[in-house]
Amino acid sequence: MPTHHIQLTTSDGQTLSFACEASEDLITAAEKANIFLAAQCHAGSCGACIAQCESGEFTLGECSTDALNDTDRAKQQVLLCRTFPRSDLTMRLPYAHSLVRFEKIPVREAEIVAKTYLTEDTIKLDLQLLPDDDGNLSLDFEPGQFVELTLPGTDSKRAYSLANAPNWDGTLEFLVKLRPHGKFSSFLHETAIPGMRLTLEGPLGTFILQDNGLRPRYFVAGGCGLASIISMLRRMAEWEEPHPVKLFFGLWSEEEVFFQQELADLAAIYPNLQYQICVTNASASWSGYQGSVVAAFAEALQAEESKPDVYICGSPGLIEGIAEVAEPLGIARDALFYERYIANTPDTEPTRCEVS
Amino acid sequence: MFCYQCEQTMRTDTLDGCATDKGVCGKDANTSDLQDILIYQIKGIAQYAQLARSVGVIDKAVDDFIQYGFFTTLTNVNFTATRFVNMVQEAAHIRDSIKAQYVAAATAQGKPLVEPAGPAQFQPATDMDGILKQESVAVVNKDHELVGEDVNGLRVLITYGMKGVCAYSHHARTLSYHEDDIDAEIERILAYLTTNPTDIEDLLAQALSAGHLNLKVMDLLDRANNGTFGDQEITQVRVTPVEGKAILVSGHDLHDLAQILEQTKDQGINVYTHGEMLPAHAYPGLKKYAHLVGNFGGAWQDQQREFAEFPGPIILTSNCIIEPAKIYRQRIFTTGPVGWPGVRHIDNGNYAPLIQAAKALPGFKQDEEAKTITTGFGHKTVLGVADKVVDAVKSGAIKHFFVIGGCDGAKPGRNYYTELADKTPDNTIMLTLGCAKYRFNQHDYGNIGGIPRLLDMGQCNDAHSAIKVAAALANAFECGVNELPLSLMISWFEQKATAVLLSLLAAGVKGIHLGPSLPPYLTPNLLAVLSERFDLRVNHSPEEDLQTALGRAVA
Repeated sequence: MPTHHIQLTTSDGQTLSFACEASEDLITAAEKANIFLAAQCHAGSCGACIAQCESGEFTLGECSTDALNDTDRAKQQVLLCRTFPRSDLTMRLPYAHSLVRFEKIPVREAEIVAKTYLTEDTIKLDLQLLPDDDGNLSLDFEPGQFVELTLPGTDSKRAYSLANAPNWDGTLEFLVKLRPHGKFSSFLHETAIPGMRLTLEGPLGTFILQDNGLRPRYFVAGGCGLASIISMLRRMAEWEEPHPVKLFFGLWSEEEVFFQQELADLAAIYPNLQYQICVTNASASWSGYQGSVVAAFAEALQAEESKPDVYICGSPGLIEGIAEVAEPLGIARDALFYERYIANTPDTEPTRCEVS
Repeated sequence: MFCYQCEQTMRTDTLDGCATDKGVCGKDANTSDLQDILIYQIKGIAQYAQLARSVGVIDKAVDDFIQYGFFTTLTNVNFTATRFVNMVQEAAHIRDSIKAQYVAAATAQGKPLVEPAGPAQFQPATDMDGILKQESVAVVNKDHELVGEDVNGLRVLITYGMKGVCAYSHHARTLSYHEDDIDAEIERILAYLTTNPTDIEDLLAQALSAGHLNLKVMDLLDRANNGTFGDQEITQVRVTPVEGKAILVSGHDLHDLAQILEQTKDQGINVYTHGEMLPAHAYPGLKKYAHLVGNFGGAWQDQQREFAEFPGPIILTSNCIIEPAKIYRQRIFTTGPVGWPGVRHIDNGNYAPLIQAAKALPGFKQDEEAKTITTGFGHKTVLGVADKVVDAVKSGAIKHFFVIGGCDGAKPGRNYYTELADKTPDNTIMLTLGCAKYRFNQHDYGNIGGIPRLLDMGQCNDAHSAIKVAAALANAFECGVNELPLSLMISWFEQKATAVLLSLLAAGVKGIHLGPSLPPYLTPNLLAVLSERFDLRVNHSPEEDLQTALGRAVA
């Protein structure tokens, strides 16, 4: 079986290389070389391992069109977990070298502290990490990243973004949308109680704040996509980051609205933050923005003097909607930072994710 | 971006200096450009501050900002562009404030108003893109084609030297030590630079003025450190870990260390010093804390490896920070003038997040075998045994002194100082200061009649101690400093060392060996002048330079 030389270049210009046999996908081959790249589903359905091929021949296995559409393919973009080399390859990764791990993703144990229904089908799940073998209590993650929670008694894993800012006491907060017939949703709704232990793996994901971004920051969250966004905002507030910040939090109906008090509290301690809760099908009594989050975003962007950095977390439709209105206003799609939820697994719970 | 302030700057056949998207130190172009603009603005503030002084107005907050602002721009201090966006706007407000105070006082006194030109008139754009477009007026070598490389080089030498002066002065100010004549002289020299001077002799004289000023500043800092924490004492410092939770304190700022020690008292956390914080162990006011247990790690350029191994949080109080690796980035904190994007900054003196991190992280699992080094040979300690030293020289037991000082760097050429130390004859004494020593300070060089052969005088600002000791020896031998069996081997890396070099020249010290390479802004013509007037020497091989040094006259 021929072996090919694979060279990857990160967004900050550093290179990684490893050997890959023609029968192996690039994610697997990289992991054999102790290079742990951004990846999640390993099945071509989440888009977390998207990369740009710059030279060489390859075969691309089956991929979800949500994760890699025809336009992406035409531009020689690939999902590394479905890419099999047919020659030496050079690839460009859309994230920095610091997000590549060179040791296995940590696996930790945590205990359920609280399960709180924010709406009929939205749960806030609070966990307390247990110390690892070295005595570490905290989880070393960047706001915007996620972990995979294992469904007790199975090998099934579900990815959920952390909603808290990094801390030292090992408390973790998640926002979970309950899906009909979802295995993890059913577990959370029916079985999970405080004191129960869960296994988690992470941190994962490349959707993080751009450290040296100087422009204003716009954040767009759809539903529980607020988790990764509010983690970023909490960090920015804690560090008193100087950027002007606008958050657009979108929901379909007023019944789905949650975290109103949390957002008000955050804006009270972080005056840079302005936010709109946008309800698409709002009643006349809704005092927030009545209309889609995309429309609210477009209106604000039109009035903005400086082009902002834009961070989006939500469905593929939300990402596309924002991209469509942002481009005519001078923000190209490749200047957006986003993570998308793709509800395409058999039990309809979302998988992650893609980052520009 | 254009920057050539440190020794590691990019050097090619066509250009000396970092002029791409990112400097060798890791500073990105935006941050570098914003720093240039801030320096330009601060010179403008100095113009008005000088005028204000002429009508009796002194605003300490303005002096604070000038010196703090300059400090933030030193090599390996602050890489956070957003901090500079704020400081650029703050600088404009401060300029407006001191201008208003000047105008009010001059008007009240019936004096004609002076409207200074240049940086004093600079108005930053309100948005980020606009500010960055203004960088061309502020770039450090903007006039080099107009005035020539020699004039440009001297202007740059003074600007960079003043960065070192301001950094040392800022350290003293954190301990509430400041002197108006120092603040006034800082502002005078910065304002002088705004006059676009072109006279070489005048520029050389002003460079030496900066050196004289730095002597005063180092003396002030010496008084601040000793006055606050007591005179340095000879102290054995443990360099191996002790079991327990741990915090590592890096940088130079003793005030920050004192606060951290006070806040961690009785919390079950051990505090370690790193790098230039080593001499802290010699001060009674700091060594009194039992949980200041030792020194961890070596030279600053090894921090990416050593910080990764440290099982607790690490705080950087001043230079030198280099890009924190992902593996320990969450454990890094900065304070004071320091900054790195994505790293937690503490600027209110409340170290609770650091303490919380120390408690959450594992700490050292067990004691390692105890090993110590000795520090605390400040000028008072050394001069306390001056009679013994003088007798040893007169008896021939001590043949020569080497001052090995300055700042360390990462390049392989820095091994020069290790080789030099290793090859000094057994009948010579080494006085070390600054971080150049960390390549060799854990080696046992023995002693001469009970006097250790390696005497660590402290941080780089303790060049002041070396000058005092040299002056006292010269007095004892009734000769000039340049007639002593004394050689200064100065390792140059960044702007504090530039200030120290100017101080040594201003003190009349000749025959200094400077290396490993020379500042790129010292042109061949300028180097020739310095060689002629000060016998400034460029490093050759350690053997050759030792031979040259030992060939000097013996008292």
